[in-house]
Amino acid sequence: MTEDENREGIKGMINPGRYGIERVAYLLMRLSGLGLLGYFIAHIYETSNILRGRMGWDEFLALTQTTEGHIFLALVIGMCVFHTGNGIRIMLGHGGVGVGKPARPDYPYEPASQNYRHKIGIYSSILLAAVAMMYGLAVMFGE
Amino acid sequence: MKESTIMKIHYGTALAAVGLVAVHILMRLTTGFADSLEYENVLANYRSIPYVVMLELILILLSVHGFNGLRVILLEIKQGRVYEKAVSYGCMVAMIGLIAYGSRTIIMTNIGMV
Repeated sequence: MTEDENREGIKGMINPGRYGIERVAYLLMRLSGLGLLGYFIAHIYETSNILRGRMGWDEFLALTQTTEGHIFLALVIGMCVFHTGNGIRIMLGHGGVGVGKPARPDYPYEPASQNYRHKIGIYSSILLAAVAMMYGLAVMFGE
Repeated sequence: MKESTIMKIHYGTALAAVGLVAVHILMRLTTGFADSLEYENVLANYRSIPYVVMLELILILLSVHGFNGLRVILLEIKQGRVYEKAVSYGCMVAMIGLIAYGSRTIIMTNIGMV
């Protein structure tokens, strides 16, 4: 196999299967970031409908106040909470918090930064996102 | 600008936005989610100066953070002098465009042009 054939490109970059939960977190961070940016742009457009007066606002609001709209908003809540939780973990890691003490690299060369503290951070972010989504659904469908 | 400075801005905007967005969401829960989205309530929000200042800050912080995040993702996929410049300037233009469009809504509603 030549070097070019071995290069996986974007497929390899987004493959979550090989490198454990850290790669899953990397992928989810980017997906949630893109999703939130898309939602933010749509939200800016959505709120600009207030300039069309009561009719325009109510018309556009009716589109979002549906079952599908609520499920979509719950997904946004989940993305937002995961992105925040995992983002704080990454910031702490970049600041040297929870990455362990510098040590001589010995076989099997496990990266000091990929330790149980950061794994707990990733799993906690996923769990918090799930809880926030359920709370959001309860608020939206509870009315 | 140095990438290390850009990352500090990226982290700073994220932390500031988290606090302000939390207040923005809590405002939706004070009077009940559906009621808070009623036309009169939203208009009253836009007429309140402290709230409008907060909305403008959220708009700027999230635009800077969001489009810099997009720039980082696009630079991870492909590199090259022309490509990197196109991505950086493209994200900058999109960011300014979004801030301008959002500010237009905030200002026009606040001064009563609705």
